Amino acid sequence: MAPSLRYFLQSPTTRAGLSLILVLLVGVVFNAGGSFFEWGTHRDMLRQISVYGILACGMSLVVISGGIDLAVGSVMALGAVVFSLLTIHLQWNGLLAAGVTVAVGSACGVLVGWVIARFKVQPFIATLAMMVFARGAAKLISGGEKISTAVQTADGSYEYASVPSSFQFLDARVLGGNVAVVTLVLIVCVILCWLFLSQTVWGRRFYAIGGNEEAAWYSGVPVNRMKILSYTLSGLFCAVAGMCQAGQEVQGDPETGVGYELTAIAMVVIGGTTLRGGRGTMGLTVLGILIIGSLEKILSINAVGEETRLVLTGIIIVAAVLFQGTRS
Amino acid sequence: MRKSLSIGFVLLTLSFTLLLGQKKSWVIGMSQCNLGEPWRVQMNADVKKGAEGYPELTVVFKDAQNDNLRQRAHLEEFVRAGVDLIIVSPKEAAPLTAPVRDAYKNGIPVIVLDRRVLGEDYTCFIGADNKKIGAAAGRWVVTKLGGKGSVAELKGLMTSTPGQDRHSGFREGIKGSGINVIFEADMKWLEPNARKEMESALARFSDLDLVYAHNDPGAHGAYLAARAAGREKQMLFIGIDALPQEGQMYVKQGIMAASFEYPTGGREAIETALRIFHGEKVQKEMTLSSRFFTKENIDKGGELLTN
Repeated sequence: MAPSLRYFLQSPTTRAGLSLILVLLVGVVFNAGGSFFEWGTHRDMLRQISVYGILACGMSLVVISGGIDLAVGSVMALGAVVFSLLTIHLQWNGLLAAGVTVAVGSACGVLVGWVIARFKVQPFIATLAMMVFARGAAKLISGGEKISTAVQTADGSYEYASVPSSFQFLDARVLGGNVAVVTLVLIVCVILCWLFLSQTVWGRRFYAIGGNEEAAWYSGVPVNRMKILSYTLSGLFCAVAGMCQAGQEVQGDPETGVGYELTAIAMVVIGGTTLRGGRGTMGLTVLGILIIGSLEKILSINAVGEETRLVLTGIIIVAAVLFQGTRS
Repeated sequence: MRKSLSIGFVLLTLSFTLLLGQKKSWVIGMSQCNLGEPWRVQMNADVKKGAEGYPELTVVFKDAQNDNLRQRAHLEEFVRAGVDLIIVSPKEAAPLTAPVRDAYKNGIPVIVLDRRVLGEDYTCFIGADNKKIGAAAGRWVVTKLGGKGSVAELKGLMTSTPGQDRHSGFREGIKGSGINVIFEADMKWLEPNARKEMESALARFSDLDLVYAHNDPGAHGAYLAARAAGREKQMLFIGIDALPQEGQMYVKQGIMAASFEYPTGGREAIETALRIFHGEKVQKEMTLSSRFFTKENIDKGGELLTN
């Protein structure tokens, strides 16, 4: 084999790409009466994985800089609740509410990043604490109930508010009904993360502290500040995901996003980014997002039972990771 | 003379009861297995509302956050605190049977709400019948669609009893008719999952007449999927639970064709507690009656389901 071809086959991107092709081939075989070949099926898949994908963007930044963020699902729920409260109950302008929501999400990230950097708490522990804290905060400010267009009045009866235009915008489709707005949001997030990682000095510092924190510190990288920055960005993307989730559910549910952190981590890892840090690209994460999304869609259009789905998903994740990592 | 005597007697009895009522006060311990679901939040709200008219009642609420052992600890705390009565909506039967029995054997009346415990060591069980509600939904679909049509069923969780009962009841209700369930999937009671599964159903079938979801958020998720595909007018959406801020609202807004109430029993639990406090005998088993809501009857507060 020519060295260049071998190099090509061994590159993580090729491997992740091949995994995706394998999954798609499964879809071609089990096409559920041809519905796998319709664009609508894939458009819906892209809509459905968008929220997970946005979380995976932030997760990629954290993982590449050597950390992990277990709080993404909870911070997303907090974002969904804050955004719904401001737009539905207080009838704020959508952009203003979005600004505040993003600030809340980022603040969660600053807090957890500061705890990790300043007190040398393990990211697993610190973000676990934030996961519980943010879930509690979401329940606290929502009074434990979904923030929907049914607004309870003082005497216990319900009044029905109209759906805010920002919600309608987020749940709409554009380009002739071919792409969901949330998918566009995901694409923007992916591009921003890609630019950040590959074109900026901060991105290179993320790789440096993820690869070898001590070496990075000796070569003058402000390690603590970079760590805080990575969690802050993750919190920011959580808030964005929360708004997308609220827009699609037409409510802010404090219980939403339970277990989403695991899917986001799986998307990052299946692409080939290692949890040890210092390695990985946004391209890999995109492939990971598409692999998991397509897999779920194929199981869903074939109406495979929940039990079988869980078993198959477990097997396929292990298979994909083994396929990725054996000769890295 | 006799008349005034009897009036005087009644007045005397009344004032005596009032006096007693003012003097005696009762503490009720309410142990909820999980406040993460809107339906259970509603149950607590119903208990609270039921007790509001009675200043002599104090209700202490505890939330076990879906943890059997935590709920067990709550029951033990209630016994130690010497509450006058316990209302418990247990997470699971087997792990909570013993703590309920201990309380009951300690002379504290226990009302078990919605989910059962094993054996007979409790005062009263109050619950609704998912199977009957599912069957009523099935029969309603048969009438509504004129005896034939294609249905998608979005199931709660087939490993849970409510999911199994709402499924088998519905199948019983449509038995013998020309209604075919052509698509079924688990949506785990969650709206985003329902939307995802419905998108698959829409991709595969062009002739769906109705979507039966095991809860109202599921029906709403299915509606959102159909609306995104521009097909929401071609089919009907029905669901179970009929909470005021969910199912009833969706019916009012014309999103859902019908919602079938799964009553919480919160109000009935307080009524039963009062009867126990006043020394009345209560039956061991109470099956709650349920209502259903459609566009036609929602402003009148729904209609009672008949068996």
